[in-house]
Amino acid sequence: MGDSQYSFSLTTFSPSGKLVQIEHALTAVGSGQTSLGIKAANGVVIATEKKLPSILVDETSVQKIQILTPNIGVVYSGMGPDSRVLVRKSRKQAEQYFRLYKEPIPVTQLVRETATVMQEFTQSGGVRPFGVSLLVAGYDDKGPQLYQVDPSGSYFSWKASAMGKNVSNAKTFLEKRYDEETELDDAVHTAILTLKEGFEGQISGKNIEIGMIDNDKIFRILTPSEIEDYLNEVA
Amino acid sequence: MGGFSFDLCKRNEMLVQKGLKQPSFLKTGTTIVGLIFRDGVILGADTRATEGPIVADKNCEKIHYMAPNIYCCGAGTAADTEAVTDMVSSQLKLHRYHTGRESKVVTALTHLKSHLFSYQGHVQAALVLGGVDMTGPHLHTIYPHGSTDTLPFATMGSGSLAAMSVFESKYREGMSRDEGIKLVAEAISSGIFNDLGSGSNVDICVITKGKREYLRNYLLPNPRMYISEKGYSFSKKTEVLFTKITPLREVVEVIEVGDAMEE
Repeated sequence: MGDSQYSFSLTTFSPSGKLVQIEHALTAVGSGQTSLGIKAANGVVIATEKKLPSILVDETSVQKIQILTPNIGVVYSGMGPDSRVLVRKSRKQAEQYFRLYKEPIPVTQLVRETATVMQEFTQSGGVRPFGVSLLVAGYDDKGPQLYQVDPSGSYFSWKASAMGKNVSNAKTFLEKRYDEETELDDAVHTAILTLKEGFEGQISGKNIEIGMIDNDKIFRILTPSEIEDYLNEVA
Repeated sequence: MGGFSFDLCKRNEMLVQKGLKQPSFLKTGTTIVGLIFRDGVILGADTRATEGPIVADKNCEKIHYMAPNIYCCGAGTAADTEAVTDMVSSQLKLHRYHTGRESKVVTALTHLKSHLFSYQGHVQAALVLGGVDMTGPHLHTIYPHGSTDTLPFATMGSGSLAAMSVFESKYREGMSRDEGIKLVAEAISSGIFNDLGSGSNVDICVITKGKREYLRNYLLPNPRMYISEKGYSFSKKTEVLFTKITPLREVVEVIEVGDAMEE
């Protein structure tokens, strides 16, 4: 960061006290594909649309939900390439934490370090903020957790959240249906129904992605056929 | 990033030339072995860690985890073997996340040898690296300066000659799991009993396609035999005839009278 001749930040305050670049970054997130997450009593589920630019694209080569550590997964809304950079950095940070303390990184710590990276890019020379918001789902000894991290670097813990194109409808839907006692499988059904709300076209195992983590603390990305099974249960 | 600074090494060489006796290195003697059998790789190690003539750890672990399908035995300076295997294990893990594939033994090999080469032998780790990946079973030895060999059976450490004599006479290709374990245990035992730098127990690790078994303390040929059952008892006490206590300082009694001083 801060390479070439830019030692000054491109993200500067406007007279109204806003950082306009971050506002624009949030707009970029808001026009990205919908993604959401739900925290259940015994786990967390995250899901996203996987709309490809053309039917010629090999959908098996695209993976939006990524594993950061065996017990933490992440999904994004916004610019895919930006999310790849963050995923790479987060994985490295988790590994560095493990090498130093010889314990798996707690979810809050990883979220905090990722958020710190995103904040640094709003206050460094010659770089722009990330055009993604992340939903981090993890299960450690504090139980299941779901965090949303924004381009500004602020993060919040959510019981259920949505980001991207259809965010207001999705959030209203989630608010109505959210129940703290929900089991993980029911949460998956709710996630699918929420995605279905704003989905253009026929929903199938090939155009959505679902990742989940339950009591065994292992983050799993569902295969298209597993997603089809859940879809059949919902329909 | 800088890299290793060799200034002090030059200074040491100059001092030796001027006649200064160089302090002796803390070498940790070891017997470590590996062999390829029909279904995979078997690694073996003794469990003695020495500081010169003293046994520092009677049951240390010399077979280090690198990846679910790759393990590495380490001889030489214990701190160096631990640190270098830990570091490469970490890098392999990140690589697995990025590629989504199982780690290859040659990947671990290349990381280790380039690290050791860049430190020009000052990181004193002699390693026996073995594992099974999608291309089959592999066994390598890595020397502190960064050179490597690929072998069907290998030994390293101060007990390597004792162990190698067992391998050279009894190794065959395509051994079964039990035959392989027996041979590895025999080789390590040979090192334990014939080399002062090796001792205590035999650790074995069997790696096959999709499975690994870490047989910690597979053999315990040096049990602690004599433990006194009676315990310790001290004979007759000295009789107390007379007691006098003399305070070293006079004890002054503080008596609180009245209210505290007014301002």
